[in-house]
Amino acid sequence: MEPPGLCRGIRILELGAGAAGPLATRYFADQGATVVRIESSRRPDFLRLIHLRPGDPHGLDGSPMFVLMNPNKKSIRIDMSKPGGVALARRLIGWADVVSENFSPGVMARWGLDAGTLRAEFPGLVIVQSCLFGQTGPERAYPGFGGQGSAIAGFNHLTGWPDRAAVGPHGTITDSLSARYVALLIAAALLERRRTGEGQTIDVSQIETGVYSLSECMLRYAANAEVMVRRGNASEDAAPHGIYPCRGEDRWIAIACFSDLEWRRLVRALGDPGRLRAPRFSTLAGRLSAREELERELSEETRPRDAFELMRLLQAAGIEAGVAQSYEDLLADPQLAHRGHFQVLRHRHLGELRFERQAIRPSACPPRLEAPGPDLGEHTREILEDLLGLDPGETAELERREILV
Amino acid sequence: MLSGIRVLDCCEEPGFLAGKILAELGADVVKLEPPGGDAWGRRGPYLGDVEDPNRSLRWLALNTSKRGITLDLDQGRGQQLFRRLAARADVVLESFAPGHMDDRGIGWDALSAELPRLVYCALTPFGRSGPWAGFRARDLVVVALGGNAFVTGDPDRPPVHCTLPTAYLHAGPEVATGVALALWQRAESGAGQLLDVSLQEIQLSTLMTGPGLYARSGVLPRRSGARLGRTREIWRARDGDVSFGLRGGPARVPGLRALVAWMAEEGTAPDWLRDYDWEAYNHHTLSDAEIARLEQAFGDFFAARTRRELYGQALARRIMLAPCNDAREILSQPQLRHRGFFTRVEYPELGASLEHPGSFARSDRGAIGIRRRAPRVGEHNAEIYAEIGIGAAELLDLRAKGVV
Repeated sequence: MEPPGLCRGIRILELGAGAAGPLATRYFADQGATVVRIESSRRPDFLRLIHLRPGDPHGLDGSPMFVLMNPNKKSIRIDMSKPGGVALARRLIGWADVVSENFSPGVMARWGLDAGTLRAEFPGLVIVQSCLFGQTGPERAYPGFGGQGSAIAGFNHLTGWPDRAAVGPHGTITDSLSARYVALLIAAALLERRRTGEGQTIDVSQIETGVYSLSECMLRYAANAEVMVRRGNASEDAAPHGIYPCRGEDRWIAIACFSDLEWRRLVRALGDPGRLRAPRFSTLAGRLSAREELERELSEETRPRDAFELMRLLQAAGIEAGVAQSYEDLLADPQLAHRGHFQVLRHRHLGELRFERQAIRPSACPPRLEAPGPDLGEHTREILEDLLGLDPGETAELERREILV
Repeated sequence: MLSGIRVLDCCEEPGFLAGKILAELGADVVKLEPPGGDAWGRRGPYLGDVEDPNRSLRWLALNTSKRGITLDLDQGRGQQLFRRLAARADVVLESFAPGHMDDRGIGWDALSAELPRLVYCALTPFGRSGPWAGFRARDLVVVALGGNAFVTGDPDRPPVHCTLPTAYLHAGPEVATGVALALWQRAESGAGQLLDVSLQEIQLSTLMTGPGLYARSGVLPRRSGARLGRTREIWRARDGDVSFGLRGGPARVPGLRALVAWMAEEGTAPDWLRDYDWEAYNHHTLSDAEIARLEQAFGDFFAARTRRELYGQALARRIMLAPCNDAREILSQPQLRHRGFFTRVEYPELGASLEHPGSFARSDRGAIGIRRRAPRVGEHNAEIYAEIGIGAAELLDLRAKGVV
């Protein structure tokens, strides 16, 4: 028998574009929920356009990033600029347990689908609205993307080298981070609804989820007026604590020693090289104060070695060490393979693609990947007829009125 | 939203945020520490730079809304008490090395045999089994093996991670999501389950499908510093850095046009820029020389202005430009202040009153956010042990034997 999935029976309607919204609903789609995306060729999700070149034969159905990010979901075409489109969307909202949207504030209201109206009509509905700055306040209309969210929330300032620009963590961190909060809020609101029968409306500011996650940085300022800065890989608590060169082009290993015991193990594992035996390196305080010299000397030891061999050697000696893996390394990573992180699915235009499974592995409900991200409107008829119960004549009428475009 | 849910939180630093989030959604979260407190989790910096585990700012920031007890899980009596605490919990959270709890007879296998409704979440660097399951790793090594470090930083320097542990920050809401979904499933089936969560795997979703895109394209992304691919993303303003993407696409063109209009008003837009065809603009196909020319014009404009001035106009003119804020700037950020994002928490014992980021969301059905300050070491021992039927005399005895 097929495992049930954590979320079987949950119905989610998704409106919006980009990464932050779709990443959040994936938790449910991979666990048996029905997730329906409202889309239109009139205003396509920009992820359907990303990395595409002019004349790409598959058009809006050929964006690998969109396909990889939206597996297990269903897509219906609805032109929301027409009243008939909005009326149809309203019927889908009536079908749904959850509406998850990540438009700029006000878009849903312009269609007459503001949260207040919807909740009055559907009291059990859970609405989660996620945008950069939240639904209220003087800067709610600010038009930035995740790159700007990361900067405003403080991640850029804390990432990079102190003498260089504030680069921020790779990938727009407010997109990947806020999506986890949105998923949590959907699940928690459904739990509350199960208990009370009531829906709710939840306003998520992606920037606020970032600052909340950085509570330590904020409290250090509030308490001690300390303005934290980026400091490369240096740590207040460990030395060495860095990423060191290895043999080959752009090969690196992260090594961290939080105690003198770990340091002694490291020196021994590296064969007791004279350059690491200096007395000033023998205590953590000494290593912290001679950090730059330590970095140089340790780099000389790591540089001729193979990164993976060195990692295994150091881990066997009880030292925190790990290769800075490239995407190529990740695809061959034996631990990720053990967990079945990557799974190949065939897409009808793009061929075999490596999809990623969720990091949460429930013992009774492993996450499942069954279908690549949908073509635009791939499930229009199925949704109308199976989920909403329209008869073929009604569907044909919607087609005639050019609502399903 | 989670009122009535009881969580026994034995996590060390990697799981601090997860328990905090559940507590701030209304769950009753009991934080369990070894006797004397979690020495590593309560390390400095300290409030007022006074060394004291109850003044650890990391602890105070990430353990709000929890109650706290101490218990020695290495002693048999401590393990017995743990089973009694687990029996009244819906959820156990732990972040020990694989096998640590099993070796003490209080892991998933032992607990689930007696407590079929229990949700047990084990947060580990690489998962509970597999060739690297025994590897040791804190944030830096997780971010390295998880693939994010390789693409973060400047091309002429080593890979780099964020100064605060993003591996743990991503894990917070990820673990909380898993717990909430498992509780949902339990409501359907009556059965709890084990959640085996890998910090490394959580990191992979920060790459935005990068490995899958690489498998298809064969183009390996590398560190690009202040650039995002070909174009600059981080720029120098007069007093610090700003983020501004020089990429095209329908969402960005209006902002690029608005910026040029502002430059023209200020008399700093050369003719060629004023007449620029943004509709045809495609950052993938531009020549390097053309990109350099655009960067020069925009870069000079930004460098002559403060971040405040630039962001003010970005808001007024809808330009996708933002300051790279530090903590001081975030604390006074007008939008956050307007929304009442910060919550003042009182510390009467410490003579302090501190503003914390208050909440990660707002609901029309009730407050999400900080309920109480983080617990002092063993603060709720009497209260919580009484809840499992341990009276004052027995507690004294447990204390004398170093169990609590």
